[in-house]
Amino acid sequence: MHIPDGFLSPPIFIGMWIIAILIIGYAVKKTNKKVLDKHVPLMGVLAAFIFATQMLNTPVASGTSGHMLGGVLAAIFLGPFAASIVMASVFIVQALFFADGGITSLGANIFNMGLLGTIVGYFIYKGIRKAIERVTRKESKKGIIIAAGIASWCAVVLASAACSIEISASGIFPLTESLIAMVSVHAVIGLIEGLITMAVVSFVLKVRPDLLNLEKI
Amino acid sequence: MHHYFLDKYAALNSIIHHLDPRLKIIVFISYVFFVILTPPTEFIKFFLYFLLLFSVIGLSKLPLKFILKRSAVVIPFVLFVALFIPFLKEGEIAGSYSYGNLNFAVTYPGLLILFNVLVKSWLSVISMLTLTSTTKFADLLKAFEYLKFPKVMLLVISFMYRYIFVIVDEAMRLKTAGDARNFGNLKLKHRIEIFGNIIAVLFIRSYERAERVYAAMLSRGFDGNFRTIKEFKFSNIDLVFGAIMGLILMNIFVI
Repeated sequence: MHIPDGFLSPPIFIGMWIIAILIIGYAVKKTNKKVLDKHVPLMGVLAAFIFATQMLNTPVASGTSGHMLGGVLAAIFLGPFAASIVMASVFIVQALFFADGGITSLGANIFNMGLLGTIVGYFIYKGIRKAIERVTRKESKKGIIIAAGIASWCAVVLASAACSIEISASGIFPLTESLIAMVSVHAVIGLIEGLITMAVVSFVLKVRPDLLNLEKI
Repeated sequence: MHHYFLDKYAALNSIIHHLDPRLKIIVFISYVFFVILTPPTEFIKFFLYFLLLFSVIGLSKLPLKFILKRSAVVIPFVLFVALFIPFLKEGEIAGSYSYGNLNFAVTYPGLLILFNVLVKSWLSVISMLTLTSTTKFADLLKAFEYLKFPKVMLLVISFMYRYIFVIVDEAMRLKTAGDARNFGNLKLKHRIEIFGNIIAVLFIRSYERAERVYAAMLSRGFDGNFRTIKEFKFSNIDLVFGAIMGLILMNIFVI
């Protein structure tokens, strides 16, 4: 889902850059206000963690493999804004060193996977978690796990839809066909992302439940 | 994993390697912009951009095989575009074939779109690869700091750079352990669960490492700044290189 250079027309990529800079600027400001030095090494090591998980491929079916995006996972532990900085750092390193995503399209990639896939994903997680708690009238581990799974699925699908809308708006793809193709493929990929996120969260809840109660930014 | 996994060839000795990193960032990113903004029908211009970039690579002594291999990452995306070419109905038809009741037609505008994304994404990728393969990571980050990049992000990226190797090694050990226990042959449900556990273990280990790193840095007086001894110097060679690249790019763009 990392869009390379040349796929977005100038008005689109400039627009996406402006949105991305505004969001990252806000996230940086928010992070700067809180205890900066404690979080920075943590965020850096977690960025390396996200990077490493994206390298671990799990074979899915007949030769294809999927890897984690990890945005919602990072947001559940760090909070949406710190996680968006972590994700943006990962995308910058991927764009610069692995040619994974372009420079002009970096703004769009940060928006798709860093904002839609992380900040929006986090608020979906929080909303579902609250709704479940209201229905069952208690704080349950199951609620957290289910909310994490659904939010991760939504994040992947939202990011893929945004990606195909941006490329179509640049006149490369026809909109409807690409939207159908991208979203249906990513609805399946998102399912795996959701299941893996659920497994990760339930494991952490068993082993180090305190990690879910870190200060969120 | 070897520590040069990210900037493998950055320690070579060539004229391009010794240029001021700030200048290199500006030149290679402007190159991308020039390529992106060129209309897709100007085939000769793309050829000239190609020649320019590969003469710089020639000067930099980077192995061509490495550049070409890394640049192959654009292929999946270009194939995805190629998949949609038959759906673009407007324009003169370049070739068509039918399969049962389905008629596929490839039009010239469709092919032009394919050429457009292929050449632009490929040249841009190679430009960025040349930048990062001729500049050390620490220098690159320092140069971005001069260019007013947000400091929190640079700090996060520099920590990431320092710990990527450690954590990827950790991940690979977990993967080896999984493979040794026949992980790939399990049912999908189990596989996802175990994969989740692997990632969770990796997460907890990374977090605990981060805590130790933070404590160690704090006890050595870390105050949120990285200091490097090296200072950048903008020399005459930089001036000449910048001027030549700027003039050539401008010329190709307007002819």
